[in-house]
Amino acid sequence: MYRHPAGLRGFLTAIALLGGALVSSFLLGAAAFVALERVAVAVGRSGGLPGWWILITTTLFLLPLLFFLARTFPFLSDWYYLLPAIVFLLVFTVYPIILTVYLAFTDYSGARNGLPDRATETAVTAISGRRITLAADPRQSLGCNKTCLGEKVELVADGKRARFTVTAQQGRTLELDRAPGFEPRYAYRVNVFHYIGLRNFAYIFKNAARALWPVFVWNVVFASFTVAATALLGLFLGVLLNNKDLKLRNLYRTLLIISWALPGVITIQMWVALLNKQFGAINRLLGLLGVYPIPWLLDPLWAKVSVLLVNLWLGFPYMMTATLGALSTIPDELYEAAKVDGATSLDAFQFITLPLLRAAFVPILLASFAFNFNNFNVIYLLTGGGPATEGRLSTAQATDILISWAYKTAFRAEGQSAYGLGAAISLVIFVLTVGISLVNFRVSGALREEGRR
Amino acid sequence: MKKFWVTAVAALLGMAFAAGQITIWTHFGGPELEFLKSQAQRYEKATGVGVQVVEVPFNDIKQKFILGAPQGEAADLVVTVPHDWLGEMAAAGVLEPVGKYATKDYLSGLMPVAVSAFSYGGKLFGLPMNAESVALIYNKDLVKTPPATWDEFLALAKKYTTGDTFGFLYDLGNPYFNYGWFKAYGAYVFGKNPDGSLNPADLGLGGEPGYKAGQFIKDLRYKYKLIPEGVDYGVADGAFKDGVLAMILNGPWALGDYKKAGLNFGIAPLPAPPGGGAWGPFVGVQGVVVNAYSKNKIAAVNFAKILVNPANQVAFNKAGGRIPVSLGALEQLKADPVVKGFSTTIAMGDPMPNIPAMGKVWGPWGNALSLITQKPDSDVKKIIDDMVAEIAGAIKGK
Amino acid sequence: MSRRAWGAAFGLLLAYLAAQWVFFAARGLRPGSFLVFGLERGDWGLVLGFLLSAGLLGVLLRGRLDGTDAWRLVFWTAAVLEMGAYTWGLGAELAGRVEPRPAFGAVFVPGGWRYVLAGYAAAVLALFVYSWAVIKVGNRLSGRRRPVGPLFGQALTHLFLWTLVVLVYYPVLQVVSASFDPRNNLFSFRRVHSAWLLVRAKVLPSFANVSWDNYAKLVNGVVIYPWQWALLALALALLLAALGLAAAARRRGGEALGVWRGRALFGFAAALFVLVVFLGPAQFTGIGTESKFLLWVRNTLLVSGSSGLLAIALTATAGYAFARFDFPGRYPTLLTFIFVQMFPGFLALVAIYYLLSWLDLLNTFTGLLLAYSGGIISFGSWVYKGYVESLGRSLEEAAYIDGATRWQAFTRIVLPLSAPMFVFIFLLQFVGTYSEFIMANLVLTGVDKWTVGLGLYSFTTGQFSTKWGLFAAASVLGSLPILLIFYGFQQYFVSGYTAGALKE
Repeated sequence: MYRHPAGLRGFLTAIALLGGALVSSFLLGAAAFVALERVAVAVGRSGGLPGWWILITTTLFLLPLLFFLARTFPFLSDWYYLLPAIVFLLVFTVYPIILTVYLAFTDYSGARNGLPDRATETAVTAISGRRITLAADPRQSLGCNKTCLGEKVELVADGKRARFTVTAQQGRTLELDRAPGFEPRYAYRVNVFHYIGLRNFAYIFKNAARALWPVFVWNVVFASFTVAATALLGLFLGVLLNNKDLKLRNLYRTLLIISWALPGVITIQMWVALLNKQFGAINRLLGLLGVYPIPWLLDPLWAKVSVLLVNLWLGFPYMMTATLGALSTIPDELYEAAKVDGATSLDAFQFITLPLLRAAFVPILLASFAFNFNNFNVIYLLTGGGPATEGRLSTAQATDILISWAYKTAFRAEGQSAYGLGAAISLVIFVLTVGISLVNFRVSGALREEGRR
Repeated sequence: MKKFWVTAVAALLGMAFAAGQITIWTHFGGPELEFLKSQAQRYEKATGVGVQVVEVPFNDIKQKFILGAPQGEAADLVVTVPHDWLGEMAAAGVLEPVGKYATKDYLSGLMPVAVSAFSYGGKLFGLPMNAESVALIYNKDLVKTPPATWDEFLALAKKYTTGDTFGFLYDLGNPYFNYGWFKAYGAYVFGKNPDGSLNPADLGLGGEPGYKAGQFIKDLRYKYKLIPEGVDYGVADGAFKDGVLAMILNGPWALGDYKKAGLNFGIAPLPAPPGGGAWGPFVGVQGVVVNAYSKNKIAAVNFAKILVNPANQVAFNKAGGRIPVSLGALEQLKADPVVKGFSTTIAMGDPMPNIPAMGKVWGPWGNALSLITQKPDSDVKKIIDDMVAEIAGAIKGK
Repeated sequence: MSRRAWGAAFGLLLAYLAAQWVFFAARGLRPGSFLVFGLERGDWGLVLGFLLSAGLLGVLLRGRLDGTDAWRLVFWTAAVLEMGAYTWGLGAELAGRVEPRPAFGAVFVPGGWRYVLAGYAAAVLALFVYSWAVIKVGNRLSGRRRPVGPLFGQALTHLFLWTLVVLVYYPVLQVVSASFDPRNNLFSFRRVHSAWLLVRAKVLPSFANVSWDNYAKLVNGVVIYPWQWALLALALALLLAALGLAAAARRRGGEALGVWRGRALFGFAAALFVLVVFLGPAQFTGIGTESKFLLWVRNTLLVSGSSGLLAIALTATAGYAFARFDFPGRYPTLLTFIFVQMFPGFLALVAIYYLLSWLDLLNTFTGLLLAYSGGIISFGSWVYKGYVESLGRSLEEAAYIDGATRWQAFTRIVLPLSAPMFVFIFLLQFVGTYSEFIMANLVLTGVDKWTVGLGLYSFTTGQFSTKWGLFAAASVLGSLPILLIFYGFQQYFVSGYTAGALKE
């Protein structure tokens, strides 16, 4: 067979070769795509080619290239097994992440999206070379801040549009950086977005007491309590249902799985109705028990309790199933041997079941923690982050976790489509998640691989 | 035969290329959607322009349009957009100013409030189609004549607030429904510049008027004990539909369901609250807007004009019961009690601000209202002050 | 453990608690308010104080005491007391926020919990009497001496489990009953007349006026061609045949039955596939948005199904390479896979939107499918890697001796053995994307393109109208496929989650 170049050098060689192949075939593919598009337009397809053709042309170049590379560098073929996954990760995960990270350092938002502001429409009355004359005073009609110098404007004629920078202004006449080359009818000022460095992060940390800290603390409490509660109940039920003498145990298992099987969009919204203070079924039931109506979703503290309870309801079947799966891998001989040695069933549980369960459970608990840490659906659908709490940003209320805070900032009315700020928050979430996971992995050794160097 | 095919293909191609196709996004449903589709078909037959109607949920339209229009992924027309989105959408560059397509005659045939609502930065950004506001809707089986004064109102509401029936309910935490009280106590959202445009630096929700309105809203729950916790829009609406609620604050969109439930209802303005001036709701105007990036603007605008002509506004009212903004259409519908009731409240109200700064108001305002009504000992002054501070900070840009 | 150590530990504990009490009392706070929730008040000093005093305790004890017993004792006592105090304080705080006023229109029974408790006590007693009698009679008849305990324990377990089942199913019952209520509102305000207290209190739904209106609206105007009916019948027949064969195989065993069962299942899947692909928007002629419901189900099956297949295709080779190969950079790449996935993916929505827009894949199922694909790769590869490692290398090594290449060893030996894991990965992706609505909402526009999650979400987030009845009916119908899958493939879920984690 073949040998890899050793160590870091081998890694870097492989990455360089693969990267080179990907980049060069993408460039070739893009060139081919442009050429094909020209042809398509010439033949009469007015819209040109759909953009995904570039994926096809790239693949057409990539495959032979990979084939020849594997001939020259046989060790590279190991990497080919990873290539589909890597390419998909690069295109549909890494690339969006890079764009998001870039946005985090800008003030990009719904109203600052690099597009012309239509409210600044001003008719162009005359044009000569680089100079255009407008129908009204550009400082007002274009809404420039004091002077229009340096502003970007978009000029539009029938079917044509182009952007220019204003280099000088004199009364109603603007001088542009270059000649338009067509007869523009209207001018608009462009709402540019800027690179603003760390200002988004400065905002997050300046308002940390009103959003980041309380949200983060609640997020950790939410995730860890959910994991602990679901694991305890799941473990208990799993051990109970693992008893081979229990009748109907498969029926119970099948019945109890329901809250996991049903889509959250349905069940969580149902809980909203059930937990209404005056009219919800839960409080009516409690009323029969002589309990006064509980403000489940109206009081900030109770809302947290509700979120945890609903999440327990949603999450325990998964833990129960996982426990049963783990228990089924423990051979019966172990218990029989213990019985022969005179151990009670409690002993067997303590010294056989628990230690073996632990090994299987640690990764499950970690995965569950990671999932719940960003469990957007249950928060967003149950409370929408509310109820309102004094002294908080309107995007970060009593039960908001980091991800719902970021989502509301970037995509909901409360946050004003502040994509830049939302991206910055998601970067903070990323750093926190990675940090917590590193600690988790280190403590639990979940990523350690036995039997490998 | 061959010749026939050649001509047929040529004709088809000609239609596809010359007349083109426009896409419409709409949030209409039921009979209103039917109305729109039939208009689209008629237009298609008359002009040869294909019209495709796509249903998009109301709450998604703004974001999808802002994201999609520059990419060529949005509709040519949106039927309809509420006017309070205009500022944001215009600033994002996706709305075509339509003033150049509108004639003086057309504009003078509309309610003035509709025109001003659809003007932003001195430009018309859409063709207004219907107006709406909230009003007191009362169940005539329980309330014979609508109360004219606060005392009458309170007595009536208290009479029906038993364990099983309710006197007066509405979505207490929603600023849109509560603006009327703020206005009654002299509060406003944005002040006006000398030229009549809104000034985002002049916030009028705070101060003494704001405290009074906040206190009154809190009193509705804790002093007058009319609106218990847990009442949201769905609860109030459901109670009215079930016939156990005497009076609700709601808008024309709900009437279809009330008719279906067989209710006998009337429409009236709310009385002035104690110590306040006249109540006056937010007025929302909905209209048709044109995509600035549309490849087929002329066809789109022409269809929009047909949709909003007075005859069609009347037809649209018959379909869904919305209140037209064309004076001619209003004149024809004079006899309709619903149109009459809501025209009264629309005349009493203010149009919702349409500048982008309004987007920074809703969130903190809603939060403040939920905080005020969350517990009996909430500190109204502090909450209102915090709200004003947050809004002002957000408008100034952090 | 010496008496002195006990004393020191106890004294320190008291001092610690006293210090805490003084600290908090001085700030005028109730005990409950200094829990994490207290952070809302901005009291960061409290946390600091807690950490400081805990650290101080540790330092002090380290010098005075030896023996891990003392350590443990102090730690656990402190922990239990602290937790107890917190829980008590929290409970007091929560109770303080409940207004002592019965809910509107509710039936309020003061002290009603006593009846329930008494009921349970009676049930327990009855169960005990029953088990006692059964065992005694059995012992008398068989002459053996079995204790009463185990049977009574089982009876109690059943009681507990049935209580749990009732609690777990309560929301489901509400959804189902709401779907039969034509009035489209969730809270009924009309008085209910019934002999049953639970129905009168509106705790249990009254099925007095059941109506199929909501369901009728969901299928209103749907045109299904005869060949589709035929195909549907064929698919159902094949499914029944597969189930029957499975039952027969369980009873009698036999290889041939298993093969036929596989063929029947495959035929069922193929028929379903054809049905899903060829069901088109043109067949939905109803007026309302909700009449497109079956189309949404079809769209979802299409998207989630292909997404699951794509997930298998992408993760199989990667997981295999991670498990078996040993090239430089394997482990760093694995770590990169895992950590890249920790970026909150759906916040990159805007970026994904632009990406799909450049590829002209917006508003297409392909676009949505590709957008979903990124999410499963890391976890899928990780789980599959664990599975391959658990398979053992001996079969492959034998194949290598016979002259097989790596690719052949993978495709001929490992792939056929991986079927359960592939089913698991498929299900994971299928279930995960089935009711997703945020990404779908971004990519898809127009009701003809919607998925089930999007449709369900839209019923409850209309501008002013919440269509609860329709929502409930659609929920019942929309969760059927996913329930069938869950119950049909239960064992794969059970084994899948552990197979990836357990190495041996």
